[in-house]
Amino acid sequence: MIGFVVRRLMAAAPTLIAVLTLVFVIVRIVPGDPALVILGDQATPEAIAALRARLGLDRPLHEQYFEFLFASLTGDFGTSLVTGRPIVSEVAAVLPHTLDLTGAAMVIGTVVGVPVGIWAALHRNRAIDVAARILSLLGLSFPVFVSGIFLLLLFALHWKIFPVIGNANLADPVDRLHKLVLPAITLGLVMAAYITRVTRSAMLHVLSEDFIRTARAKGVPWRAVVWKHGLRNALIPVVTVVGLYVGILIGNSVLTEIVFNRPGLGKIIVGALNQRDYSMLQGLMVIYCFLIVVVNLITDLTYGLIDPRVKHA
Amino acid sequence: MRLRAALLAGAAALGVAVLGGAAIAQQRTTLNVGMAAQDVGRLDPHFAVTTIDRVAVAWMFNGLVRFKPGSINPAEIEPDLAERWESSPDGRTWTFHLRRGVQFHGGFGEVTAEDVAFSLRKAAQASTSAFSGDFRAFESVDVVDPYTVRIRLRENVPSLLGLVTNYAGGYIVSKRAVEQKGDAFVRAPIGSGPFAFASVTPNQSLELAAHEGYFRGAPQIKRVSYRFIPSDASRDLAFQNRELDVNYGRAQATWLERTRRLPDVTVDVFEPAELSIININTKQAPFDDIRVRRAFAHAINRAELVRWRGEAVAREGQSLVPRGYLGFTADVPLLQHDPDRARALLAEAGHPNGFTVRVVHTQLPEMLAGMQVVQQQLRRVGINLDLQVVEHATFHQQIRQDLSPLVYYGAARFPVADIYLTQFYHGRSIVKTPTAVTNFSHCNMADAEIDAARVETDPQKQLALWAEAQRKLVEAVCGVPLFETLLVFARHNSVDYGYELKGSMSLGPLITEATRFR
Repeated sequence: MIGFVVRRLMAAAPTLIAVLTLVFVIVRIVPGDPALVILGDQATPEAIAALRARLGLDRPLHEQYFEFLFASLTGDFGTSLVTGRPIVSEVAAVLPHTLDLTGAAMVIGTVVGVPVGIWAALHRNRAIDVAARILSLLGLSFPVFVSGIFLLLLFALHWKIFPVIGNANLADPVDRLHKLVLPAITLGLVMAAYITRVTRSAMLHVLSEDFIRTARAKGVPWRAVVWKHGLRNALIPVVTVVGLYVGILIGNSVLTEIVFNRPGLGKIIVGALNQRDYSMLQGLMVIYCFLIVVVNLITDLTYGLIDPRVKHA
Repeated sequence: MRLRAALLAGAAALGVAVLGGAAIAQQRTTLNVGMAAQDVGRLDPHFAVTTIDRVAVAWMFNGLVRFKPGSINPAEIEPDLAERWESSPDGRTWTFHLRRGVQFHGGFGEVTAEDVAFSLRKAAQASTSAFSGDFRAFESVDVVDPYTVRIRLRENVPSLLGLVTNYAGGYIVSKRAVEQKGDAFVRAPIGSGPFAFASVTPNQSLELAAHEGYFRGAPQIKRVSYRFIPSDASRDLAFQNRELDVNYGRAQATWLERTRRLPDVTVDVFEPAELSIININTKQAPFDDIRVRRAFAHAINRAELVRWRGEAVAREGQSLVPRGYLGFTADVPLLQHDPDRARALLAEAGHPNGFTVRVVHTQLPEMLAGMQVVQQQLRRVGINLDLQVVEHATFHQQIRQDLSPLVYYGAARFPVADIYLTQFYHGRSIVKTPTAVTNFSHCNMADAEIDAARVETDPQKQLALWAEAQRKLVEAVCGVPLFETLLVFARHNSVDYGYELKGSMSLGPLITEATRFR
């Protein structure tokens, strides 16, 4: 198992370097000058040139690239071009918020989505299945900035149960949980809708397999057929989807972060992109890429837990 | 058993809710200000170029002089760090006498002439300031004694006091703090204003603490929490929920009406107005033909634009300088809305069926919506705008590369005509030149008047020169003024700024030692 993990992490290194190279090139191809963003619209070319020199943006690209690559590999991401603050501390300040939100949304999505998906599959084309399909479609169709505002209107403005401003004090677990509830529900319901549909479809496929019919013919109780034979096999694609979706969630939680005014990685990425904060974008991409690698690794390890036939050796 | 567990869970959730609610209710010495932004940028005042940064640095720093709180009238400039000043008869030498005993934040000592000289030299240097261009006329800044500073000018400037006020490059920083902190100064600045930098949490808030030793007296507000909330809807809900005391507003009629209907809320609409202009590249076909530019101007319906924007927050542009600025004149040959005349002029210029022109424009919602109204107005006379909508930073870069024959631009500047005219219509500021600023029209026919007005010592002659410059530029249709948009902030009536908010050069309410909760 340890060997597998090490091999996977080693295999991720070329991917990481490829992503870093791509990010380095893309942020510089996109029009927009960070020096102009920093100095504003009254800046003279002389001032812009002076700032570009100060930020090291006037140096040859290959020089900048190798410096960035070496610094990234040694864990030194530098400082934000715009705010001048160290990137590591900027990310460290918001990462717990992102992990809280992503983790809670994943739990809600799985706890709601998997049972509902199974239930719908077991009651195919009956009222419960139709309801699950309609609700999951609604869950996927409603953008989070609509459902989020709706929840805020009800729970913050009308009932005064939760605050509108969701930037929690990380040192206070009560405050942290209190401010996580609404954003986690908002994002979790989208994920639940997605997982419901995948689980339903996977279960329907497995339940139509020959081995299920054989098990039933041998007199295995229906409950055991569903849980032991059906669900175990259906969970493989569900885990794959959840793993993929977690990666997407980390980046795509930006709308939820904006609506609930929560800090987070997604928000920083958008801000850095708008401000052409090259160093911040590069640092964020390294961290984001690392998170994706870890999530994929956990997904692979989970396969082995669900299905012993999957070997990691 | 299950019922008990459910009840316990319910009680826990309620407890969490009550605790959260109580935390919101208790803060009466903390002023919560909501701002439409993702984060602050650079808190070194000489790099504070965005609205969010400008608003905050005004609470932390002083100038030698200041605009009277609530006003942007240069005639009402009053002493700040300097208690008095005098100038030589030719207006080229200015001597400022500092107050004694004014302290910087964080134990960085007394504000002295060394700090003032250091600050003004820093503001004038391109590598350490975004406003260096404003200080071109500075020859030297000398320390006469610890409490006296002398500024010598190469040439006369329209408003020397404007350059050393609590605005842009005029803020005074602690020399020792800048030298000691180095690059870290931009994220933890030291000023002498009523509020001191306490902390900044990325994407969340900037926290300021009262400067108890402030020379005008200890602030009544003890803490300012400056919250970054980019979503308009969320910020409005937080304000409505009383989680914010002051809220950055939207200059829209519907927003204004809705917010004014809220109980115990005041909406302040104040100066400086941002003048939106369509600048026309007079060197590029088909706009190199004055008849086409005139047709363009006749197609614009300013009254309709103001109705769209909201009459409470917008007014028609009357010249190529915002109204109220020193040197503004409405006595210019501004072409009025006349679609028939526009069509006739187009036909005369060889475009009887109109034409299509490709225009680069920003995706910023408010600017995009404004341009779309203009696009509709122009379509009625046969001018079709093929809008290339790009991200805002790209827009700023591409318009400076001369990639758009029409540039929709909204700006507010120091309220003296010279700055607006120089940056937008002086030959030295033409884009893609070594001294470029924001002259997108390539006009330079009023350079002589602009230059002469800048050094003219007779106020009447100076006004006449600025008026002549505006007449020439409007006649040549270098740009078409659209509308002026005022600034909007909302506050709960429990907040008393301590002055009447009619204007603010920091683009947001000034929080002073007198600001308090009623």
